[in-house]
Amino acid sequence: MISFKNATVEYQPGVKAMDNLNLEIKEGEFVVVVGLSGAGKSTLIRTINNLVPLTSGELYVDGEAVHDLSRKKMRALRSRIGMIFQGFNLVDRATVLQNVLMGRVFKLPTWRTVFGVYPKADQQIAAKALDRVGMLDRAYSRATDLSGGQRQRVGIARALAQEPKVILADEPVASLDPPTSHAVMQHLQKINQDLGITTIVNLHFLDLATAYGERVIGLREGKLVFDGPGSECTEEVFEGIYGRSLTAEDTLSEEA
Amino acid sequence: MSELTLPKKAIDWFRNITTLAIVAAVVWSLIGLEIKWERLIDLPADLFLIGTLMFGNLDIADFPNLAGAMWESISIAWVGTLIAALFAIPLSFLAAENLVGRPIAWVIRQVFNILRAVPEVILAIALIPIFGLTPLTGVLAIGIGSIGTLGKLFYEVIESIKKNPLEAADAVGANKLVRFRWGVLPQVMPEMTSFVLYRFEVNIRASAVMGLIGAGGIGNDVALALRFKDWEVAGMGLLIVILGTILVDAISGAARKQIIKGSNAKLPSAVEV
Amino acid sequence: MTASKVELPKKPGIPGAIIFSLVFAFVLTVVTMITVEFSLTEIFSNFGRRNLVADGLLNPDFGQILSERSLSAFIETLQLAVLGTVLGGGMSMFMAYWATEFGNPIRWLRAIVRTFNNVVRSIPDLLWALLFVTAVGIGILPGLLALFFFSMAVVTKLTSDTLDGIDMGPIEAAKASGSGLISMLRTAVIPQILPSYTSFVLYGFELNLRASAVLGLVGAGGIGSRIEFFRSRGDWSEVWGLVLMFFLVVFLVERFSVTIRRRLV
Repeated sequence: MISFKNATVEYQPGVKAMDNLNLEIKEGEFVVVVGLSGAGKSTLIRTINNLVPLTSGELYVDGEAVHDLSRKKMRALRSRIGMIFQGFNLVDRATVLQNVLMGRVFKLPTWRTVFGVYPKADQQIAAKALDRVGMLDRAYSRATDLSGGQRQRVGIARALAQEPKVILADEPVASLDPPTSHAVMQHLQKINQDLGITTIVNLHFLDLATAYGERVIGLREGKLVFDGPGSECTEEVFEGIYGRSLTAEDTLSEEA
Repeated sequence: MSELTLPKKAIDWFRNITTLAIVAAVVWSLIGLEIKWERLIDLPADLFLIGTLMFGNLDIADFPNLAGAMWESISIAWVGTLIAALFAIPLSFLAAENLVGRPIAWVIRQVFNILRAVPEVILAIALIPIFGLTPLTGVLAIGIGSIGTLGKLFYEVIESIKKNPLEAADAVGANKLVRFRWGVLPQVMPEMTSFVLYRFEVNIRASAVMGLIGAGGIGNDVALALRFKDWEVAGMGLLIVILGTILVDAISGAARKQIIKGSNAKLPSAVEV
Repeated sequence: MTASKVELPKKPGIPGAIIFSLVFAFVLTVVTMITVEFSLTEIFSNFGRRNLVADGLLNPDFGQILSERSLSAFIETLQLAVLGTVLGGGMSMFMAYWATEFGNPIRWLRAIVRTFNNVVRSIPDLLWALLFVTAVGIGILPGLLALFFFSMAVVTKLTSDTLDGIDMGPIEAAKASGSGLISMLRTAVIPQILPSYTSFVLYGFELNLRASAVLGLVGAGGIGSRIEFFRSRGDWSEVWGLVLMFFLVVFLVERFSVTIRRRLV
């Protein structure tokens, strides 16, 4: 499904956020990416939908050559990739439903979006997405009225509304408290298991990584330094990835 | 999978009616005006022609005269704005509900509303028979016309002051005057000054327009030049209006930024102006 | 304890900038007053004199509301204002977008948009009207064009200032899901700035309403031509009649727009 071949991203000469990455992710996998800030987690996630373009190398996503895609095809690919953000990126003044319907925008003619006239079928898709994350009853609440956890669930619903093949989550729980973080991670896990959507999640809480990471990718200075199942991730492994000993900030809480 | 029902959505009557009203107004206007849209086809050519006539042969000799006229417009705007401020400041305190009673405030506010509604050009037309075709007419037109707008902005600021400095003044046993001087004034001065400057920028344009109907300033020169097809003069005049206005906007804008920066107040929203 | 003197730190002088500005403002005031030949005596003596204008004001003739010519001119004024604002306001959404960094990453293109806007904004509405009248002849089209350009420029400036401060998050989300430009504007940008943008458009409408009243003075349509007609005949009662009726309309519009603005927040 996703395939990096000697992929490099160089923001400035000499500063490699991605260094000659070779990585294969199969369809339906649930992958957690860990690494220090600046190690390249965000870059990795953002190259997949080309929010960050490769400087060199190749990247194939769902059969498309991302490094060489026209604008139009890029948008088409993006519509098949759902993204979840640390800051939720919701439109505050809009309702939950309106936010989720944003996920249908690519598949509908522009005039429908401009006038806000969405077909029943698309509204159903949005409703089902909301139901899956348990936010259906808040469909007409304004995004500002929600808590952080609720907002992220709406963010997940928005991604789901795209009926995506891939879900990218960039530090989705970094702003949330422990119980909510686990709830969100469980939603993502369930979606991956029930719908078979390839899921890639950036995390900096290592206990979450161990708990939810079927497969854990460790990055350091843009390079791949670890690739294995979460069960194999001991403290030493993480210290190897981080290049330093672990501190309290690296774990979410005492109890998982 | 079975169909899910979304919860019932409350109908926003206000929004729907307003939207409908606006659409109706637009359609009414479109039909009612009977615009000869064919004239638009010739527009680019016409504009280009005028443009070349006006700017093709600029004569630097015209510059001093027209620059002087622009200066006159700027002066009219400045003096007019100051006069407006002079009247607006005391009146605005009388319009602030947190300083005087509601009835008095209401009366003063209606006075402001009436003054706001008058286009300065109409005022100028009314004043010309009284004061003649002089710059003074322009000054008075702008002065009277701006009292309303400045007054409204001023009293809104006055009403939005924070209580804390006032509390502090009371706590140290200050009398009313001192309380005003140290509690109210410092909070409102920066914003008020900023509004005056913004109004000045707006009035530059009004004052150029004043000239079009003869109340002094560069508008006069441009209008005459256009009427007598003195294209180069019109072109130079237009250029000077543009440059002069941009210059005043830039200086005044920079001054406003500095004032607001120094006081940490919010940048005034130009909307109420 | 030894009673030693405590030295206060050196007192900072009043910032030079403030002194400079005050002096500058003072000098400017004096010079400008001389330029306009400001004279209080002139003002008072003239105000005191009896004149036709004041007479007309105290005795306004509202009969004009029954005149077909005047009534249609009134309606024309309103329609020009509405159309000019809708067209100008609509266009300004795009102009403002092209004036921001995220909407127009090409620096020089952005500079062109901003400069164009500033130039258009620096020419007063009535002067635009005069220019268009010169170019295309008299009628309502030049009036509409003038209102369109001027209000577009004003609303664009205000909107682009607001756009500079919006939350980029929803925009990133829209891009990431493959949204096209218009859809992105509609779903991610407009909801954020709608209250401000509406305020600005309403402000533009108020400006246009006032301007459209006087467009007729240069032959660009509206009630202005009727006002000029009566003025040139010295019929000040009729003039004030028309003007006062116009006030009423502006007043009502303003009340309406205030209500809308309040609701939007």
